[in-house]
Amino acid sequence: MRRGSFFNIDIYILISTIILLFIGVLFIFSSNTSVVNVLNTSEYIKQIVWILIGIPILIFFSLYNYQYFKNIAHFIYIAAIILLIVTRIFGEEVNGAISWLRFGSFIGIQISEFSKIAVILFFSAYLSIIGQKIRQLPYFLLGFLICLVPMMLVIIQPDLGTAAVYIPIFLAMAWASGAKKKHIVFIVLAGFFMISIFIIPHLQQYFPSLRTPLLQIFTESGYTLAFTGIISLIVVISAVGYYFLKTHYFYWIYYSGFMFITASLGALVMQHIIKLREKQIKRLIIFLDPQIDPKGDGWNIIESVMAIGSGGFTGKGFRMGILSQSQYIPQQSTDFIYSIISEEWGFVGGLFILILFLVILTRAIKIIYNSRDSYAHYIGVGIIGMIFFHVVINIGMTMGIMPITGIPLFFISYGGSSLITGLIAIGILINIHYRRYY
Amino acid sequence: MFTEGSSSSNSNEFRTRIKSLAVLIFIFFFILTFALFNLQIIRGREYLKKVKTEVGRKRTILTQRGEIYDRNYDVPLVINIETYTIAIIPGAVPEIEIEDIFNRLEDFLKLKRGYIKDKIPKSYYHLYQPVEIKTDVSFETISYLAEHIDEFPGVTWTTSLKRTYLETASFSHILGYIGDIDMKELQILANEGYEAGMQLGKTGIEKQYDRILRGKDGKILRIVDVREKQITEQIEDEIPPELGEHVVLTIDKKIQKLCQDTLGTHKGAVIVLKPHTGEVLAMVSYPYFDQNLFYTKNYYNNLRVNPDRPLINRTIHEYMPASVFKIIMTAAILEENAIHPSNTVYCSGRIYYGDRYFHCWLRSGHGAMNLFNGFTNSCNIYFMTVGRDYLGVDKIVKYAREFNLGKLTGIDIPGELEGFIPTPEWKEDRENMIWLPGDTMNLSIGQGYIQATPLQMANVIAMVVNNGTIYKPFLLKETRDPHTGDIISRTSPEVLQKTTVIKPSTFEYIQRAMRNVVENGTARYAVYTKSVKIAGKTGTSQIGPHAEDRTNEWFAAYAPYNAADPEQQVVVVVIVEYVPKGEWWAAIMSNYIFHGIFTQKSYKEVAMEFGSLHRDLGE
Repeated sequence: MRRGSFFNIDIYILISTIILLFIGVLFIFSSNTSVVNVLNTSEYIKQIVWILIGIPILIFFSLYNYQYFKNIAHFIYIAAIILLIVTRIFGEEVNGAISWLRFGSFIGIQISEFSKIAVILFFSAYLSIIGQKIRQLPYFLLGFLICLVPMMLVIIQPDLGTAAVYIPIFLAMAWASGAKKKHIVFIVLAGFFMISIFIIPHLQQYFPSLRTPLLQIFTESGYTLAFTGIISLIVVISAVGYYFLKTHYFYWIYYSGFMFITASLGALVMQHIIKLREKQIKRLIIFLDPQIDPKGDGWNIIESVMAIGSGGFTGKGFRMGILSQSQYIPQQSTDFIYSIISEEWGFVGGLFILILFLVILTRAIKIIYNSRDSYAHYIGVGIIGMIFFHVVINIGMTMGIMPITGIPLFFISYGGSSLITGLIAIGILINIHYRRYY
Repeated sequence: MFTEGSSSSNSNEFRTRIKSLAVLIFIFFFILTFALFNLQIIRGREYLKKVKTEVGRKRTILTQRGEIYDRNYDVPLVINIETYTIAIIPGAVPEIEIEDIFNRLEDFLKLKRGYIKDKIPKSYYHLYQPVEIKTDVSFETISYLAEHIDEFPGVTWTTSLKRTYLETASFSHILGYIGDIDMKELQILANEGYEAGMQLGKTGIEKQYDRILRGKDGKILRIVDVREKQITEQIEDEIPPELGEHVVLTIDKKIQKLCQDTLGTHKGAVIVLKPHTGEVLAMVSYPYFDQNLFYTKNYYNNLRVNPDRPLINRTIHEYMPASVFKIIMTAAILEENAIHPSNTVYCSGRIYYGDRYFHCWLRSGHGAMNLFNGFTNSCNIYFMTVGRDYLGVDKIVKYAREFNLGKLTGIDIPGELEGFIPTPEWKEDRENMIWLPGDTMNLSIGQGYIQATPLQMANVIAMVVNNGTIYKPFLLKETRDPHTGDIISRTSPEVLQKTTVIKPSTFEYIQRAMRNVVENGTARYAVYTKSVKIAGKTGTSQIGPHAEDRTNEWFAAYAPYNAADPEQQVVVVVIVEYVPKGEWWAAIMSNYIFHGIFTQKSYKEVAMEFGSLHRDLGE
């Protein structure tokens, strides 16, 4: 067993993370001030405190053998589930979602952030134990359930954005574990159709041009019922046909029909059981055309896109951003911090952030590629999926090409929970790299 | 450097799938990079422009209205003084204390309880736009507030300029006043840069020269944050305000006050002008008003319904010219050779014509009167007879027009009336009555339908003084740069009327006659100053059957008589309304005014010398 020296740790990931943390504090500071350089809040100080808290946690996770998590992952997972339930009951509402557990006046944590790590650790343990059995449908579905339970608990907060992160985590890990492509495709497509079915009536509300007769099957309950009946009939017929004839033809009809029914049921659950608020749905689709509500939900996107666009190549200079310093962008220290960076540092700064994240992700891929331990593989892929999703959704959101989901940009956005979750993830990656020669 | 020989059985599968994951990551990062490039590089300029319009608020920098000076350009007659307006920035008031602070401020400013709460609804509480609470607050209040600002968080004040008239009283008609632009004015002036909410001159010089005085507001681009809180002012986009030019009037403050004090509280008007140029040295109309009180409630409405009509400028309002008109009659008689000047008409105090008696002002009669004596004694019978029998209405009208009656003088102040010369055609058309010789008789002594303004009568005197030329009367001497005081423009005298009909010898005759009025005629007791030789003409017009014992008294005069230097000459026209019959108040006042002008004394000093004017007036 070869143990690497101190210098054997992955210096690229570590340095990229440190630079991101540093830029984060800088721009939280920038967002805290106004043009006349008056500090409005002291979030940047709190962020530094969170970083100081996070450093020992990072060191712990990079040194404490991740293998030991394998045996306690189910405890961590159950603890996370319990804490999510506790949050739902006793939590504090922030921005319309009950997602905070508050201890005293200073420390408030979002369990939904940490529970991502719990899911990654437990699902990885599950995958490494069942091995190739993941290719069997029941094991695949059980794996999906592991991700679905915490996800549903976050959805009912309701915090759609954070809940959505569990999907890429599951997909990336299932994909890496060798699950059947048709199972994964089923999940992806069913999810896609479910969201489509769910959202089309709402879309029609804002985009009248979508009110075509064909789409009435989603909006008129009579049509929907008839359509579902026909599909169900097709599913039954094709199931019977496949059972007797074993023709692939029937199998794929059955596959897609069943997928549609799953999607419809899912949409129905979303609509009637979870009861998503209109506001939440609107935030999801408004990026398609922010002008439908330019003073409300569209505002964030319009201002953010303008801020980024007006940054130009080199930006307006640190603490010189017109829109950000004039407090035009809501949540500019958290969800929309990338707007400030891009306004004040321009394309150069924006690209630099993208490159740093790309370095972390490619190094992470390299780490798991070189690791011989399957548990490490799954943890690593989960972390990659998580960070990747966060970066794409958050940065895409600030540029108006992704829905407003309210998920933060790791290491940069103000906020302790996501910061420490990110540092735990980085610690684990360093740990995997450190122990790659097991 | 990938380590080979994995223990995992599905290692190869895992690596292929990891590679595809890596590809996916690169694709998405490429998309993000492209989106960033599109926003910042391709469309960067467009967004930068948008941002500037989004956060930039154009704010007006108010200009300063020009000051108004008298001809000596020393102490302004009108200035702009700073006044304070107290406002609240609701967003800056701590939410929990908001009601306490409102109540405290209400007590401090002596406002009704709940006054502020009515002005600032709850929905404003987060805004940073100041809401005005009280205007025209004293400096003492502001300094107290500044010292105790800790007790009033969110309370702020702004300064604004208030037009303040240092000279009011008789200056009120000249200077006028300013007020908020109304809908009607806005419709007319909208394309001249006037906007709603602006103030503009409503009367007087303030109205006449509003375009010169008002200047032009500047604009400054400021950046506001999302709650309209002002954050910074961007100097590069500033258009500085253009200050209004200073207006220097032809009015001589000292003479104006002399006239004002001499007229005192008698309804009437005094006009003093330089016949050689048309410069108006004084323009007094009583009753007057105080423009500084226009801000107070009901002041303006009370002025409007006041039966004495203090808002009108009597110097440019119509009166019957009465016997002052005999100047024109004399010119007509001489030029038309209507009757030889030495031929006499017998005045028995009255003549019977038509079905009634026409009286001379001297009921006992003047006896045989020739032109010169008739003028000196202002004999009505002489002029009535000559007018009716030798001259005729058409020639009287011709000479009245020659003296520019019935037409605007074009003086640069709003509200001038043009007066009226009656003609037989007019009477037939409008009144549907035949012009009778009795009408001619009335016209001959400046009574009846004829109307003229004191200013027009001053012009009549000016024409006599200038031997046939009237200069257009004016009030604007020059405009001056508000920064340097340099003269920007200066009004040069303009000929209003130059007669070719009346010979200089005729004017010399009239001048002599007017001098004789003072030396031996109707004004011989009233006008006694030795400081200057005055020539003038009295006039008495009946007010009407309701006030038989009262008349409007005229004295139209100039001095010095036979001046070597025309620059020295001054025309003074005084009209006093509602004077007890037989009193020469206008002439008495003119005596004081001329003495004051030529000895450079104030009314008080003249009164010390001559004794009380009231005694002279017999009050």
